[in-house]
Amino acid sequence: MTATAAALAGAARDARSAWRPRSTIAVAAFVVAAFAPLVFGSSRIADLAGGLYLAAAAVGLALVVGIGGLPFLAQGGLMATGAIVSARLLQHGVPLGAAAVCGGVAGCAAGGAIGVCFARLPRPAFAAATWIVAWTFALGLQSLTWLVGGAEGLVVSARGPTPAQHYELALGLTALAALGFLALARAPFGLALAAAREREPAARALGVPVERLRAQATAAAGAAAGVAGALAVHLAAVADPASFGPYLSFRLFVVVLLGGALTPLGAPLGVLVLGVLSLAADAIGSLENVSAARSHTLLASVLLLAVVSLGWDGILRPAKRRRAAGGEPPLRDAHRRGLRAHALSKRFGAIEAADDVSLSLEPGTITALVGPNGSGKSTVLRLLAGVVPADGGSIDGGAVVRTLQSSGIFPSLTPLEHVLVASRERRRASGFFRSLLSTPRNRTEDAAFGAEARSVLRRFGLPEDVPAGELPVGSQRVLMLASAYATAAPVLLVDEPTAGAAPADAARMAELIVSLRTEGQALLVVEHNLGVVRRIADRIVVLDAGRVIADGPPDEVAGDDRVRAAFLGRHHF
Amino acid sequence: MAVVLQILASGFAAGAVYGLVAVGYAVVFRLTGVVHFAFAELIALGVFVTLYAAAGSGPVSQTSVGGVRFLLALVVGLVVTAAASAGSYLLAIEPYRARGSVIGWVGASLAVAFALRTLLQVSFSRETYVFPDPLPFDRVGAAGFWHVGGATIQARSLFVAAAAFVLAGIATYLLRATRHGRALEAIAQDYDAAVVSGLPVTLLVAAAFAVSGAIAALAAVLAAPSAAFDVDAAAAYGLYGLLAAAVTWFDPRRAFAAGIAVGLLQAAVTSARWGGVQLGGPAYRDVVPLLAGLAVLAWRSRSVREAVE
Repeated sequence: MTATAAALAGAARDARSAWRPRSTIAVAAFVVAAFAPLVFGSSRIADLAGGLYLAAAAVGLALVVGIGGLPFLAQGGLMATGAIVSARLLQHGVPLGAAAVCGGVAGCAAGGAIGVCFARLPRPAFAAATWIVAWTFALGLQSLTWLVGGAEGLVVSARGPTPAQHYELALGLTALAALGFLALARAPFGLALAAAREREPAARALGVPVERLRAQATAAAGAAAGVAGALAVHLAAVADPASFGPYLSFRLFVVVLLGGALTPLGAPLGVLVLGVLSLAADAIGSLENVSAARSHTLLASVLLLAVVSLGWDGILRPAKRRRAAGGEPPLRDAHRRGLRAHALSKRFGAIEAADDVSLSLEPGTITALVGPNGSGKSTVLRLLAGVVPADGGSIDGGAVVRTLQSSGIFPSLTPLEHVLVASRERRRASGFFRSLLSTPRNRTEDAAFGAEARSVLRRFGLPEDVPAGELPVGSQRVLMLASAYATAAPVLLVDEPTAGAAPADAARMAELIVSLRTEGQALLVVEHNLGVVRRIADRIVVLDAGRVIADGPPDEVAGDDRVRAAFLGRHHF
Repeated sequence: MAVVLQILASGFAAGAVYGLVAVGYAVVFRLTGVVHFAFAELIALGVFVTLYAAAGSGPVSQTSVGGVRFLLALVVGLVVTAAASAGSYLLAIEPYRARGSVIGWVGASLAVAFALRTLLQVSFSRETYVFPDPLPFDRVGAAGFWHVGGATIQARSLFVAAAAFVLAGIATYLLRATRHGRALEAIAQDYDAAVVSGLPVTLLVAAAFAVSGAIAALAAVLAAPSAAFDVDAAAAYGLYGLLAAAVTWFDPRRAFAAGIAVGLLQAAVTSARWGGVQLGGPAYRDVVPLLAGLAVLAWRSRSVREAVE
């Protein structure tokens, strides 16, 4: 009992620290909305309840479209899945609650399957695939008459909640979906998903499992759509296959973009705005003898064109994120391991990019990998990072993280969020469900890793809350290094850290790299600035045409004739 | 044997049209990285404008429109489609593509699709339309049909398949052997380099949108008299064309072949029997090819991983 009370007190404390004026407005809006059945008649309340079920499904979609950045066009099909499963169960006398849970599970499974199958695709192909899925659902429901009861659909008994009760249920479901969105978006899950949205290669380099997160997001969207569809079908008293066509997916997409895909209440607001405008469209349509369905489609199309044409982020923009300070940083693994690569080889067609490359990265040392352009440095780095498989040889050692040659920051994420994305793999209580439920362990861990992230940023001299895209280029490079450091991987592969940097920035970067050595970090630095190499490296490995031609302390390597020849005598250590 | 012949004849005709639509999707995608979700509706626009120019809004029979009038109507239909296709690119796709906003161009092209679809449904409000056939296929064989080896083959379906192959050949020639075609290839290889080298990229891509839209609409116009036509029929052309283009990663030549494969699979699902038992039936003619295509797409996506650098 005491533990429960303490957990609840902790949750209240965290909620208070994250509270905003707009939180008050949102709660007030939900409270006021709860009294709608006292004002409106049964028919209007049924319409509103239907709109709220749509809003709940749209909140799920916003997680994929807004946070994940994926053009997911099959959400209507997932609503249909929940609706058909629920209708079938209701026809067999299963209570509505159980039928809704089963609908949610079915939607979740279908959404997860879509994510697993197509999350690897580039976004244009993902849009095409999910659009085909939406059509497959629609045409399947029309043709599989034994499943959905033909053109009449599956008629469901009206026993159970009244329209007013459905309305309260739908309002609660929408609020729950919005809270779930909020919890997931703030959690490492949402941050990593957003990082993959902004720069997928950089997110992968930090160890973000992009496909898995995207599949989890589509599964969550499917669960929301499934439950919403399952309850909506009872409200309508029929599961009509014609109502789950691709237009439903399009409409959900419209309300998400209209209301704001990055906020939990954007989708409900989008439903409200579209609903109000639809009433106006009905009036105009009736004058022109245009059916409501067609005038609504035209309205949704025009609204969507307006939203994307004006470059809107939707009506609601995300609030500035605030994270509670406090907590003790977790202990970093003091046991440092290096890395040994033996006889690595890699061939691309006729080109031997790496040939019998062996090197050893010891804890507390900086090894520089140098060589002329095309000598195979990047290939060796990618082999060590495990990005490309070696044709031969072996690698033995601890976890490896590398920074990218080009800018690898996530422009709209803050430096604090970058570091939290990077430290995500070390967390034990921040999985999907713990984040969704904000369990006490999850919140304790949040505080600890938040404290660690702040200390990392102080150590690297970076601000906390500025969008990374607004930082100077030099600071962006430092942020990449700080993020790699935050993974706590024992071996860091740093690719051209001073490329294009001003002398002052290059000196700052060199200092930071040297300071990591004193903590026992094993570092491999690929660098063209030989002055920097000579200043920071304990050992230099020289590559030429994919082979190691020299390996030793800087002074020794500098005097090697083969190295001079490889560099055409232009550089002197 | 009769069933196989039947499947080949009807499958090739439908599949060749899907293939041409798929080529349109693929060409557009290779040039811009955009999937044009309004392509099906542009095809429908071409067919309905041709119908309206040929016969007005009144009732029409298959034989009520003569050759010259139909040809003029066809020109009007294709010009309108080409203009609408280029316009949709310039106004609804290029601004978002240039901004790198995938969600933007997906939303814009879907919005154009649904707006156009609704306008066509409002303007052509009958359930289905009979499309005039200027060619006298009813004088070929037995009232337009041949009976070969127990199979009944519609003469017009062979014409549609042959015409689609000819159109695919013309499209290939335009892309491979003409100066503009090679310029488009350069754009497909490296958009930014093409801009830097002084090619009128926007104009060329808009022209490519126009031509690919017009060719797909022409194929649909040729196929339209074979059955009743409505906006949903055009949507089906668009859907199967998209499927064929997607499973081939938007490679124009393979997309054409995949379109034919989709048509053959559809015909097989509709007609195939084993030991006197029907294997699929018309109810599954849409779902089975779509599920098969999605399975291929999912399987192929396993090999996709965007380059880390």
